[in-house]
Amino acid sequence: MKVYERLAEAFKAEGVTHIFGMMGDGNMYWLEALDKLGGVNMLEVRHEGVGLGMADGWARQTHGVGVCTATCGPGVTQLATAFVTAARAQSPLVAFVGEYPGRDQDYIQRFEQAPFAAACEAGFIRIATPEYADEAVRKAFYLAKLESRPIMLSAPMDVQQMKFEDEDPYVPSSTLLPKQRLVRADAQALEEAADIIASAKKPVIVAGRGALWSGAGEAVQTLGKRIGALIATSLRAKNWMADKEYHAGVSGLYATKTAINLFEEADVVIAVGASMNRYTTEHGYLYPNARYVHLDPRPHVMMGMGRSADCYLQTDGRVGLEALDAILAKRGHQSTGYRTGEVLERLANQYEDRTEFDIEAGTMDPRKLCRALDEVVPQSIGLLTGSGASAGFSTMNFIKPRPFIHAAQFFACIGQMLPAAMGMIQATGGKPLMLVEGDASTMMHLSDFDTAVRYNMPLLVVVLNDQALGSEYQKMVAHKMKAELSTVRTPDIGSVARAFGGRGALATTVDEVRKAAAEWVANPGPMIIDARISRNAITLAHRRVLYGKDE
Amino acid sequence: MIEINERFDVSCAAPRDVWKLLSDPHAVVECVPGAALGDEHEDGSFDGTLAVRFGPAKVTFRARIELALDDDKMTGSVTARGKDSQGGSRFRATMAFRVAGQAGHAGQGGSTVIIDGENEITGKLAGIVEAGARIVVKRMAAEFAENLAARCGGAQIKDKPQAAE
Repeated sequence: MKVYERLAEAFKAEGVTHIFGMMGDGNMYWLEALDKLGGVNMLEVRHEGVGLGMADGWARQTHGVGVCTATCGPGVTQLATAFVTAARAQSPLVAFVGEYPGRDQDYIQRFEQAPFAAACEAGFIRIATPEYADEAVRKAFYLAKLESRPIMLSAPMDVQQMKFEDEDPYVPSSTLLPKQRLVRADAQALEEAADIIASAKKPVIVAGRGALWSGAGEAVQTLGKRIGALIATSLRAKNWMADKEYHAGVSGLYATKTAINLFEEADVVIAVGASMNRYTTEHGYLYPNARYVHLDPRPHVMMGMGRSADCYLQTDGRVGLEALDAILAKRGHQSTGYRTGEVLERLANQYEDRTEFDIEAGTMDPRKLCRALDEVVPQSIGLLTGSGASAGFSTMNFIKPRPFIHAAQFFACIGQMLPAAMGMIQATGGKPLMLVEGDASTMMHLSDFDTAVRYNMPLLVVVLNDQALGSEYQKMVAHKMKAELSTVRTPDIGSVARAFGGRGALATTVDEVRKAAAEWVANPGPMIIDARISRNAITLAHRRVLYGKDE
Repeated sequence: MIEINERFDVSCAAPRDVWKLLSDPHAVVECVPGAALGDEHEDGSFDGTLAVRFGPAKVTFRARIELALDDDKMTGSVTARGKDSQGGSRFRATMAFRVAGQAGHAGQGGSTVIIDGENEITGKLAGIVEAGARIVVKRMAAEFAENLAARCGGAQIKDKPQAAE
């Protein structure tokens, strides 16, 4: 057996079912060996970074290890932005990449991949010898899961062709990790947290994706009811539990004016599975008078304003909340807090946006467009929001709860959500998914819409197309700069989608968007709606930071 | 750095009367929207607070305010430095003001108040508010001038500043 054959066996034994990437000299033997073994789907992409982005999407959706591949050297350098994004998203993934043969130091694709991986915030493991092959793969999967980060597994081409002389079956990484046990908070710390919560007149619970992953939904509602809490989420858990009472939406710059006014009154914030980074609390300014109770399974989390919670509980989100509720129940604690009818009334209309803009002919108000899509596309369909100015519109105007809503913004780069969307579709066994993106973002990896077409993915991409780098456009206008410099014409992206073999539409009115989206809902497949939006409409976030307005 | 240049006329009041008002820190602070004056220190400086809404974030600054006055020349300056209650941002503001006879109204007793100032915000808030801070500060300066003028009584504001600058 050759080393590359053993490596293929090892990946299959790790339980890998999907690999995303591009074939090259450095990985083609391994890919052929995997094909021979069967049961592993290799999805070919048009840019190596898109393969990694798909693995990242897979990881975000399943919380399991996503796998991608690229050849050596130039295949690896293409991974940079996707690697950093995955690292910031804390996505467990293994990137199997080739590496130049060590015996040929002048090899044209020679590249020092270890420092590159480090700069990309990824772990690095080299399969330096045939004897190390099993351990290297095992360690890559182990570290990806343990540290929840991307790992580059680098396989020199000459080592891949060497003999592997071990008849014993591969031992997968699952044998290294102890059975997942729930992290439970210290009893004394729980009492201290309960003291703080019991003293609260206006408590807010901020639930993040960690709470979502721990299945803490019911526990949030139960505790919230007992203490009269307002419920908010981080951006990562947007619209989660939005159909329940006293839901204030996202905590951060994407909060509504009503929510911000309510947050300001908070005297205790209970954060669950949320990092409470600078965006979630606006550096603490959103909750000027609050004490914090912070629940997270990690040993400790420093909040975005460089502060630590008044009481930190290292605990699984659900278990921690249940324990707190039990203590408060024992003490007979029950409080009205925010839960007066008046607050409910204020929250009922919180998403109304009364600011009017002069919408140019042949374009639409992106807010109305997003509201229409939220109506037409059923709640059972997951949503991905994009980057730049487009996210400012989609985040504020998609208000229905959905099985999942994933936001970009891990590295504030553009172009990463089309790959993530494709990976998520594979991860959900081919469930329809809608991505609402900007035009520059869509154009960046448009070649990989071909991948969505080749694998017939039920993916709807709605492009909020302002024919500009929208965020820069809005900033340049505010700074009285030459904003035309940020305008970049696109083709009719709907017709490009059709040329790729998918479906596509160009829309200049909300009705045209409704019609096209309804067609996709009736028969989901790869489709792009190029929706032309106004440049005069300014996102609420930009109205706030650029113009000092609060609505 | 955010510069402030405000100028307004008080047609119905003599420079000396306007100066009396301007040289009383309590009267001046009452004209600053969101400001409150605290204790006076031995060296003549004051504690003060200023609550400002930058877009969504309401920020309360605590400051030490120093006032320097030249009664004869009817000129003065205010220096305030401080940080916000979260401790994430610092600010420094200097403002020079003077009262002069109203131009073009010689002999009619009117006054003109001229204010030139510089504001600097550093730290976390600076990143949140971007261009918005400039607008908020300009808006506040304009409101301050308006309040002060109104306090002087029946004054009119010349060249009302543009909020969007």
